[in-house]
Amino acid sequence: MNTEKKTQVIILDDEPIVCKRLKPGLEKVGYEVEAFTHSVDAMERIKKKEFDIVITDLKMEGFDGMQFLTEVKSRSQTTEVIVITGFATMETAKESFQKGVFDFIAKPFKMGEIQEIVRKAEMKVRENRSR
Amino acid sequence: MEKNNQILELIADMGDKLGGDYVFDRQYIISTCEKAAELVYNIIYNLNTIAPKKYLPLYESYERINADIREELAGRLVIPKTDYTMPYTAISRDFSDVVGNKNANLAEVKNLLHLAVPDGFAITTRTFQSYLEHNQLWDQIEAIITGWREENEYSSEEAAARIQGLIIEGKIPPALEKAIGNAMDQLYLSAETVKPSLAIRSSAWGEDGEHTFAGQYTSFLNEPPENILDRYKDVLASTYSSSAMEYRLQTGFSETEVAMAVGCQLMVDAKVSGVLYSLDPQSPEQEVMIITATWGLGAPLVAGKIVADNYTVSREAPYPITALNIVRKSEMLTTRESGGTEIRPVPEDLQTRPCLTEEQVQSLVNMALTIERYFKRPQDIEWVLDQDGAVFILQARPLKIKAQIDQLVCDISSVLESYPIIFAGKGVIAQRGVGTGKVFVVKSDEDLDDFPQGGILVTKYTSPRLARVIKRANAILTDVGSATGHMATIAREFRVPTIVNTGVATRLLQTGQEITLDAEQNVIYEGTVKELCYYEFTEEAIEETYEYRLLRRVLKKIAPLNLVDPHDKNFNPTSCKTFHDITRFVHERAVEELIELKYDHRSETALRKLKFPIPLGLVIIDIGGGLVEQVNSNDIEQSQVISVPMRALLEGMVEPGMWATEPMSVDFGSFMSSLTRTFSSAMASPRYLGLNLAVISKEYLNLSLRLGYHFNIIDSYISEKPNDNYAYFRFLGGVTDITRRSRRANFLAEVLGRYDFRVDVRGDLVVARIKKLPAQGMVGKMRILGRLVAFTRQLDVKMISDEHMNKYMEDFLALAEAPNAVGQI
Repeated sequence: MNTEKKTQVIILDDEPIVCKRLKPGLEKVGYEVEAFTHSVDAMERIKKKEFDIVITDLKMEGFDGMQFLTEVKSRSQTTEVIVITGFATMETAKESFQKGVFDFIAKPFKMGEIQEIVRKAEMKVRENRSR
Repeated sequence: MEKNNQILELIADMGDKLGGDYVFDRQYIISTCEKAAELVYNIIYNLNTIAPKKYLPLYESYERINADIREELAGRLVIPKTDYTMPYTAISRDFSDVVGNKNANLAEVKNLLHLAVPDGFAITTRTFQSYLEHNQLWDQIEAIITGWREENEYSSEEAAARIQGLIIEGKIPPALEKAIGNAMDQLYLSAETVKPSLAIRSSAWGEDGEHTFAGQYTSFLNEPPENILDRYKDVLASTYSSSAMEYRLQTGFSETEVAMAVGCQLMVDAKVSGVLYSLDPQSPEQEVMIITATWGLGAPLVAGKIVADNYTVSREAPYPITALNIVRKSEMLTTRESGGTEIRPVPEDLQTRPCLTEEQVQSLVNMALTIERYFKRPQDIEWVLDQDGAVFILQARPLKIKAQIDQLVCDISSVLESYPIIFAGKGVIAQRGVGTGKVFVVKSDEDLDDFPQGGILVTKYTSPRLARVIKRANAILTDVGSATGHMATIAREFRVPTIVNTGVATRLLQTGQEITLDAEQNVIYEGTVKELCYYEFTEEAIEETYEYRLLRRVLKKIAPLNLVDPHDKNFNPTSCKTFHDITRFVHERAVEELIELKYDHRSETALRKLKFPIPLGLVIIDIGGGLVEQVNSNDIEQSQVISVPMRALLEGMVEPGMWATEPMSVDFGSFMSSLTRTFSSAMASPRYLGLNLAVISKEYLNLSLRLGYHFNIIDSYISEKPNDNYAYFRFLGGVTDITRRSRRANFLAEVLGRYDFRVDVRGDLVVARIKKLPAQGMVGKMRILGRLVAFTRQLDVKMISDEHMNKYMEDFLALAEAPNAVGQI
């Protein structure tokens, strides 16, 4: 594990509390995590660095998470996107799945639940890249 | 009734989120509050439809509560405008914006951790604002600040001097003078001396939180009471000292964010004073605490002006002193007869003597650990010993050592891999956090007396009896229990990391074993994982985040139940203080109104009394096919009930042995009083009697049952389509003390769990559900519920110990599975 490069995760949510909770929660189980509350900053960041897993909110003030995930996917097909949102409706879920989103989780959720989803996404990333 | 359940679920749900297992956001709080408000509005509307215009005052209570909640959500603190001062006893962390962090921390130490803090009150930030307004200083100050920050018109010293002059020349508004006078009168009542002198300290907004502002503002010691208004102005003026203004400029504080609160406390007659760092900031990896101590008052020590004794103490139990440096202390600061302080020589024989005994060091260490665990940060604590040697806490603030700690925990996940895991992922996190220490398994009440400071409490059941040791525990693990029970609530109050319902804790852990409990990831490690503790220190304490504080505040308007007894004169619409109160009131009255409605109309669905071997006093409304046809009389027999769920329930209730009638050998008095309350008065009052109501149809049952203070709801639908079938059981009890009620709740939960119900225990509230069984299976479950209702009727009175609980458990199962029991499951 130590010799291997860690899986890189980026989180974008405009509610700081979500970033504050998720970052340490994921770091402890072995991921390298960067968290952003401003979409502009996150957008800049993904242009500079490739991440394995992206976790993003869909509905944020003044910015559409869908735009962010579209950008992510267009840069790297093998990056997996996990969408978190407070407004869990079928519409947005469907739309995000069409854009190639890995999974969808509604707030509020348990830490264990998102860790599990991230773990599955990580497996898929590795699988895709080893091909 | 359906909505009633929905609201209660929602309330419990919000409470759950506080435990820390969930990630939630502000949007969640807002939308759940809106949903709760909508549901509560609906049930009020419905009640007023059944009983036109009879309960209109409910709308007023609703509006009042909802307005408060909306204010909270909009980000405004709801505090009365008249609060110029607040006694420490009324302050909690939720008021930190109003009284400043220093006052808020101290009040928490006093009120929640019950450590000694000198009595006092805070003069709020609101007072600061009204003082500036009254003297029309805002604009003048702003102009001077602009002149300094932007136009280089003044140096910071000049700007400070001008502003301070304005503040000191200002007049205290009469209302403010009166408020401070009243607060002083209250304080005198608790003082032992006739003319107590005061310590007056700054407690600015933003101070002692993320930014320390250490030593930036002025404090006064041993002030005679008559000086208080002048000293108050002096402290306000120090808000604008040049160093504080420079500090704000450097740390990015806006000058409009400035608000000064002041703490006024009784002076302690100091024999020894000092400072304790709960982790050495110079070398945190050494795992030691540092205590400095000197004779007399502590001010010169804090300012670094005099030499002091130095104690190094291990952070590991039993916390031995590892190094000691006693110096010659020739001078000390003492109080002056006429007020204020003066430096005096230390008597010759004391100069080279250590200031603290070993016991005093130990009690300081214990206090520090309690405070540190509560605030989840290493602490910088100012303390004082009075002439009798009693310890008082004067200040507690987080130590700034993040940078050093970051170097210690470079890669937490790979460090964690090297520690063996005892078990993981079992149970429910009731309070987040990390705790290390030695396991102490509690089997009986006597064990509690031996519980060591800093131990890890491991026990089979959650019980309120554990409350008295929770404060001393570094962490708690239980086999059974719920995250919303009373013990969990207390654990959260002291922020003791807690995992309940693990199922395995008492089996896998032994007294004396050293473990680390990570109630973040839900993992129990063998040994002490120091890195995890450091990691915890660097994380932001989520309990202190805005979202948690907001959720706590809105829950105060939603969750507490004040209206418990329907016969109390306060059981009326205007006494409703929370949404829960309204819900309870509406439910009670809705059942009554429904009964009266049916009596009045004498319709097809008339209301009938059930003749039954057991004195249930049950009234039945048949809304379709629940009774045999051609029932002529108002009284009906059990045999005439053909509603599937009702029939099964009644069958369960009359099974032999379930309805306890034998005289009680144990605790007879208590049993009698409860029995009298339940039945004599019930028999005497038809109105009371009528409150046990069943609404039935061929496939449906909704039963509201009140026996004494127990409140029981059973709701069930049984048809030939398994997918539609369900049974819902809800039990909330009363009469006896909370320990027995919890035992009864545990008993119900165990029995129901054994019969495959999904059970949720919240304190003494038990909710059980089962669904989607074929009709035959559902009938079996309803019989079980019938038996339970009969069996547990007075069980809490008899449950005077855990052994009794086990005995009744066996009794019940024996009876339920006896060959003569009607129908097998």
